[in-house]
Amino acid sequence: MLEPCGRAAVRSIAAADLMLATGGITSQIVPAIAPVQAVRFPLDQVRPAVLRVPLLDTRPRVSSHRFPRPTDPVPKPLPPRVVVQPTAAADRQADTIDDLQRNPDVAGQRRRTRIAPPGDVVKLSERLFFVLQPDLETTLQASHLEFPREPFPFQLDGMAFLMPRHGAILADEMGLGKSMQAISSLRLLVRSGQARRVLVVCPKGLVSNWARELADWAPELLVAVIEGDPARRRWQWTLPDVPVKVANYEAVVRDREMIEELGLSFDLVVLDEAQRIKNRSSNTHRAVADLRRGRSWALTGTPVENSAEDLVALFDFVAPGHVNDRMAPKVLGAAAADYVLRRTKDKVLTEMPPRMNRDERIELTPEQRETYRRAEEEGVLRLSALGPEATIQNVFELVLRLKQICNFDPPTGESAKLDCLVAELEEVQASGKKALVFSQWVETLGRLEGKLARFGALPYHGGMSTTARDEAIHRFKHERQHSVLLLSYGAGAVGLNLQFSQYVFLFDRWWNPAIEDQAINRAHRIGAAGAVTVTRFLSADTIEERIDEVLRRKRDLSELILSQAEAPAASGLTAADLFALFRLPAPGRAAA
Amino acid sequence: MAGKARRRGHGLLKCQPGTPDGWAETAAGKRLDHWLAGTTGDRAGGVSFMEQQTQGATAFGFLTAVDSPAHGVFGGYLLVDAIGRPLEFHCTAPVKVSRAQQILYGASLPGHLHGQQIGAALLAEGSVIPAVVLTDHDAMLAVRPHTSLPVALVRRRDEAVEPPPGAFAMGEVCVSPHVSDVAAAEALRQRLEHLGASVDLTEPFERIRAAIEEAQRH
Repeated sequence: MLEPCGRAAVRSIAAADLMLATGGITSQIVPAIAPVQAVRFPLDQVRPAVLRVPLLDTRPRVSSHRFPRPTDPVPKPLPPRVVVQPTAAADRQADTIDDLQRNPDVAGQRRRTRIAPPGDVVKLSERLFFVLQPDLETTLQASHLEFPREPFPFQLDGMAFLMPRHGAILADEMGLGKSMQAISSLRLLVRSGQARRVLVVCPKGLVSNWARELADWAPELLVAVIEGDPARRRWQWTLPDVPVKVANYEAVVRDREMIEELGLSFDLVVLDEAQRIKNRSSNTHRAVADLRRGRSWALTGTPVENSAEDLVALFDFVAPGHVNDRMAPKVLGAAAADYVLRRTKDKVLTEMPPRMNRDERIELTPEQRETYRRAEEEGVLRLSALGPEATIQNVFELVLRLKQICNFDPPTGESAKLDCLVAELEEVQASGKKALVFSQWVETLGRLEGKLARFGALPYHGGMSTTARDEAIHRFKHERQHSVLLLSYGAGAVGLNLQFSQYVFLFDRWWNPAIEDQAINRAHRIGAAGAVTVTRFLSADTIEERIDEVLRRKRDLSELILSQAEAPAASGLTAADLFALFRLPAPGRAAA
Repeated sequence: MAGKARRRGHGLLKCQPGTPDGWAETAAGKRLDHWLAGTTGDRAGGVSFMEQQTQGATAFGFLTAVDSPAHGVFGGYLLVDAIGRPLEFHCTAPVKVSRAQQILYGASLPGHLHGQQIGAALLAEGSVIPAVVLTDHDAMLAVRPHTSLPVALVRRRDEAVEPPPGAFAMGEVCVSPHVSDVAAAEALRQRLEHLGASVDLTEPFERIRAAIEEAQRH
């Protein structure tokens, strides 16, 4: 039997529970109330949970970045591919250039050289400006820029490094085309209106070289070379419509006041062979550092010649105050990292012809040996007698004297090195090859010129006029009878492209291995037609061998600093080193 | 080569007479200046494609999206000149789609999200009128109903299995106009000729992705 449990319960059925009474069902009337079991059923209508799914109807927040409009015109379209036109520069490059590794395609895809924002660019819009630039290959193709030859991938990397930077040191090993990279980069900056006034500062002997390179790699840019008397130079400094000016270091020092007086400023100053400013107290350093400029690029194959201070001096130009000489080498390396790009030939030109080094240990002739022995004994005695009064100059004079004897015996003119050199050159001449011979003395070169006349030896040194030197290079290159070029380290170690030479002889050794490398790289550079053999003459058991020991210890200093490693204890040919050559104690003031 | 015409004298290398800077005074340069002066500051919204054609617009839009599992979908819109140099860049904050939204929108989600939400928001920010908006993202084609600009899909030619009607080749890529712009395919092709000769049309999308990454890092 089912009955509601009272009226009140019926009325509130919607809100209350039903009472279900059940009892036993029998055929008889049971007077007693049957036992009731109550079961409660919940009747509340539980409101279901509502899930709200928002529609995608709100526009997302957008951040916008607008960039300066390029000022140069958009060229008319041409068929795809970088335009490569042969020019005079191509003639200067060996024919084998095309055989060298270019790696234009990686895994079937076109290589893209991107311009990454420099580390010191912080603002997002400015960083995006670089990130969003087309790759360099596209830029060059779209702008129809003509080059004497197609740049190597690592050279495009170098341009992508230089272009966005206000301060940069391109420290590629000699022969990798630092000038070309700088010229192509400044060319793009000038064309895009980011640079209107560019100054290239280089050693005097390289001015004509730069003018030639600019004509080849940026033919549409007007170039003025600063030279002549003061009135002429004043006119040249102020030429308004010439975007690129080339001056030598001496001219910048000489015209320092004129530049100040004229209120000249430059959008970009490029220093070639920038190690020229490593002495911070020199006039050259100060004159260059005083130039008013927007961008500062330094080109050098030897950013660290002797000590970390060399690099700090370069930074005085590229990013003043960014580093200092109190920094440990590791810290200095880390601070400099974003500003310095250095590649070596063995890393980027894996198919470049090899360079073979030979150290030719030569016994002095008996006459030379006797002269040498006497000179050294007398010299050491003299130094010993001077005691603490001995100066670095005294030691230096003795070293030079002994080195000269190693080249030629003064009384007899005998030279074991010359005998060896002649034998080597006969083979060079017979095979129709060319050789470079380096010495630190013009006098030695003069002697060699006479002794090597049958090889058509031509001199090239700082005592000659620029015209005479250019003429010597021309004849050496084009006239078959001239197998030998005799160069001084000072004039011939930098800026010359002599990659058609397969042999290099270092008749005597320079004080610094970096200078020797520069000399060697006149021949062993991009475009080298074959293996380059380098022969370094060393007179046995002489001062030359002892100096070589010191130079070997110095050789890796540059790489050590640039790779953020600890610098060695002895990092340069110090006064103490020089005294030690003769087992003499260095006086305190001289060794300082 | 212009450099061949130079002569050397008094240390000064001279260019062709009458052209002080050799390259700046070209007809193309004047046209570009004229065009830039005429279009800067215009908004994309109210100008029809035909009107743009008469203006001689030489900007191009590249529109894409980057799906970041951690953040959601970023939209990027790059405007470049006729040789691919950047003029403007716009990018959205990431839009995260919930599972429920995925279910609710179903198949219409990609078009709605990329086209109506992200794409339209980005195009609205452009101050330069592009000749065409290119995308490498199928769903971005859905932006077409929300803009007067022609929109086309760019694919590497080897990826385009069956080129749709109106598709045309441009260098290494296949350009497929939105169905609304198929009739104007030939005009689009002509407009893209200059850019396509200089720039791989898939390359600017790489830049957008790199820029979005850069913005995320910043």
